[in-house]
Amino acid sequence: MKKSVNSLKLDQQTIVTGLFLVIFLMFAIFLPGFFTAGNLLVLIRSVSVLGILGLGMAIVVIGRGIDLSMIATLSVPAALVMTLAAAGYHPVVAILAGLAFSIATGIVNGVLVAYAEIPALFTTLAVGIGIAGIGQSGMFEYDIIAWPVELDSIAWIGRGKIFGLPYSILAFAAAALIVHVFLKKTRLGFFIYAIGDNLSAARITGVRARPIIILQYVMSAGIALFAGLVLSASSNSMDTRIFNLTWIYDVILVVVLGGIGLSGGRGGVMNVIIGTILIGTIVNGMTILNVSFQGQNLVRGLILLSALLLDSIVNPRNEETAKQGDI
Amino acid sequence: MKTILEMRGITKLYGKAAAVDGVNFDLMEGEVHAVLGENGAGKSTLTKMMAGVVHPNSGEILFEDAPIQIKSPAEAVRIGIAMVFQETSLVPSMTVAQNLFLGNEKFFNRIRGVNITAQQFMQSLSFDVDPTQMVSSLGAAKKQMVEIARAMLLDARVVVFDEPTATLTPEEKRHFFDLVKTLKSHGVAVIFISHALEEALEISDRITILRDGKHVVTDKTENFNRDRIIQAMVGRELTEELYNAKKTVARPAGERILSIQNLRAAGVVKNNSLSVFKGQVTGIFGLVGSGRTETFKVVSGAIKRNYRNGGEVFLHGKAVRYLVPAPSVQDGVAYITEDRKVEGFFETMSIKANIFLGLLTKGKSARFWLKKSEMDQVGDQWVKSLQVRAVTQNAEVIELSGGNQQKVVIAKSLVQDPDLVIFDEPTRGVDVGAIAEIHEIINRLADEGKAVVVISSYLPEVMQLSDRLLVARQGKVVEEFSPLDATEEKLMYAAVH
Repeated sequence: MKKSVNSLKLDQQTIVTGLFLVIFLMFAIFLPGFFTAGNLLVLIRSVSVLGILGLGMAIVVIGRGIDLSMIATLSVPAALVMTLAAAGYHPVVAILAGLAFSIATGIVNGVLVAYAEIPALFTTLAVGIGIAGIGQSGMFEYDIIAWPVELDSIAWIGRGKIFGLPYSILAFAAAALIVHVFLKKTRLGFFIYAIGDNLSAARITGVRARPIIILQYVMSAGIALFAGLVLSASSNSMDTRIFNLTWIYDVILVVVLGGIGLSGGRGGVMNVIIGTILIGTIVNGMTILNVSFQGQNLVRGLILLSALLLDSIVNPRNEETAKQGDI
Repeated sequence: MKTILEMRGITKLYGKAAAVDGVNFDLMEGEVHAVLGENGAGKSTLTKMMAGVVHPNSGEILFEDAPIQIKSPAEAVRIGIAMVFQETSLVPSMTVAQNLFLGNEKFFNRIRGVNITAQQFMQSLSFDVDPTQMVSSLGAAKKQMVEIARAMLLDARVVVFDEPTATLTPEEKRHFFDLVKTLKSHGVAVIFISHALEEALEISDRITILRDGKHVVTDKTENFNRDRIIQAMVGRELTEELYNAKKTVARPAGERILSIQNLRAAGVVKNNSLSVFKGQVTGIFGLVGSGRTETFKVVSGAIKRNYRNGGEVFLHGKAVRYLVPAPSVQDGVAYITEDRKVEGFFETMSIKANIFLGLLTKGKSARFWLKKSEMDQVGDQWVKSLQVRAVTQNAEVIELSGGNQQKVVIAKSLVQDPDLVIFDEPTRGVDVGAIAEIHEIINRLADEGKAVVVISSYLPEVMQLSDRLLVARQGKVVEEFSPLDATEEKLMYAAVH
């Protein structure tokens, strides 16, 4: 039994990587216009923001939580930064204000989850709706905020290219590296794995679990702000109505499909990268194939369901591994 | 009287250990049959097999002389075997009548009709419960009546009670005995599992005693007395080498490290007072529900004591009140849990990572960056010193045997260099070979001058290990023994009386 669980675990990474290779090759061979430099650049650019969000989600999911407020914390603080910069504040001040906003959001999420012990699913859903509501109810003059010229000094994070590679993919790479080092090389990252694996055991061992849970949500909110700035710079604006889209499910899809179990304590940055490029490839291929928006949603839904199914088979929640606070 | 239920050569294995080992059991129509034994003797497992909750590995069950297989609780009910669990299985937000007919409602379910039928039925059993009352508003005794009524309504021929009197007041207990008599007069066979020997002697017609999963004796109640029951419950073959040696020297008490005064917590610790000293093993013996685990969980900060009249805890002579375990770990307390799956180890991590995590939470060794080399070095050192045996170097803890998992959990705490080490059931679910090694670890710690607490419901273990023996009953320590003149009978007497 134990052996088979292990081999299965190995399988999930292998399955997803193999799936990616198969799909990529099929598209490259049979889909005219897919394997061109231009399209690959589009693909990479389109997935980098998703990948950055996936990194933030991964931190929270490894700690056995979930953060549904990430799209709200992507759009509103980023819009705040742009509005303040356009209003004449120094870019540094604007960015610090946006950062303070997203950290505050993360703290609210974390305190509600860790101290009030509200399930993360509902806490972050409610906080996300609230933050989006704040953003839409008069904080900004228009729903769509244009990238102000005052911020052009940092616009390279979403626009520039180096050796033909867009900076947004480098932003993803940098974020991935930082998150990887945090999760695998620092004590706090190690504690997040411990809390995600077994909260009671972590507590009894002497880990101060609640502050670390807050830290998870603060980090996911901060990463969402970073993703928001990259997105705004590359598309030259931020649409604060973005929260109404189903984007957050893509982020969950990336994390779960990549093999970070929702039961916590498992996976890492590599899983996010695999999940991101797989989803990016599928979405890009469907766009070239001219699959309708509705059809794409259907495919995404099916993939998400299969990923969740795979997750619950590979990381089963039976009597023995059932834990409190599971989402 | 004829036999209604018979079990022949029933065996239930958990892993390689037999919880119930070749037990024969028979139950007559209309009798009250008490099943007694220490914790872990196999009483609950035996009755769970009757109720279809657990399935035997071998042996056969006969109901009215016909062999049957009880695959699920629903099937047990259909056959006519009902189990009344310690924690009631009623729906609190429904009325008594609704609970009675739950799952058997007619398609058009008239509340009034249901209430009238329930009322009539309750009266036929002479139970004084209002069927329109909400179950959540009932006391423990009345809830039990509803459960019994439900069993009767389903034409139960056999009713199993698992520790029915544990939560009842003396008055309610009287009432419960009347209920059992009512059942009996209806020709229902009753199985009664209990720790309370007096109750078994008073109420039962026959008594069966189990020990270590094996059947010891079944006889008419009038042939038993207290002493014979205790003898049968604790008497062990002297071939058990492990617990053979009688303790001849007790370590003297060192400095007082922990003092608990009038502690009250979690509804089960009631006015508990005790002290723990350096350089010796303090054994705490008590049955389930005696508050022994909760007392020490308060010390470690895993649970909080009552705000009002909670009593006091002094560590190193300083009054402490831990809200979470982290500060108690800093102050040198290590609590090694009785349930390592739920709060002991991290199943996705390697052995070394588990041990290293313990080190990282302790004071000065806490730094920002992790050092892989340090993890390997610390892990190797403890794996060696506690003789943890694993197939591969980087094995996950979940793959280890119970004994080796326990050693990892112990290492995770010892790496923090605690002054006070609390072992809660240190050898539960541990293979025999590892038991001796874990006992050696415990003795070594005491010899090194640490204060060690061993909580156990296994008598030979506490007697073998302790330099001082405390017996807890109903939320507090009631008696202290020296291991040199304590006997199993004396300890058991203090724990249950």
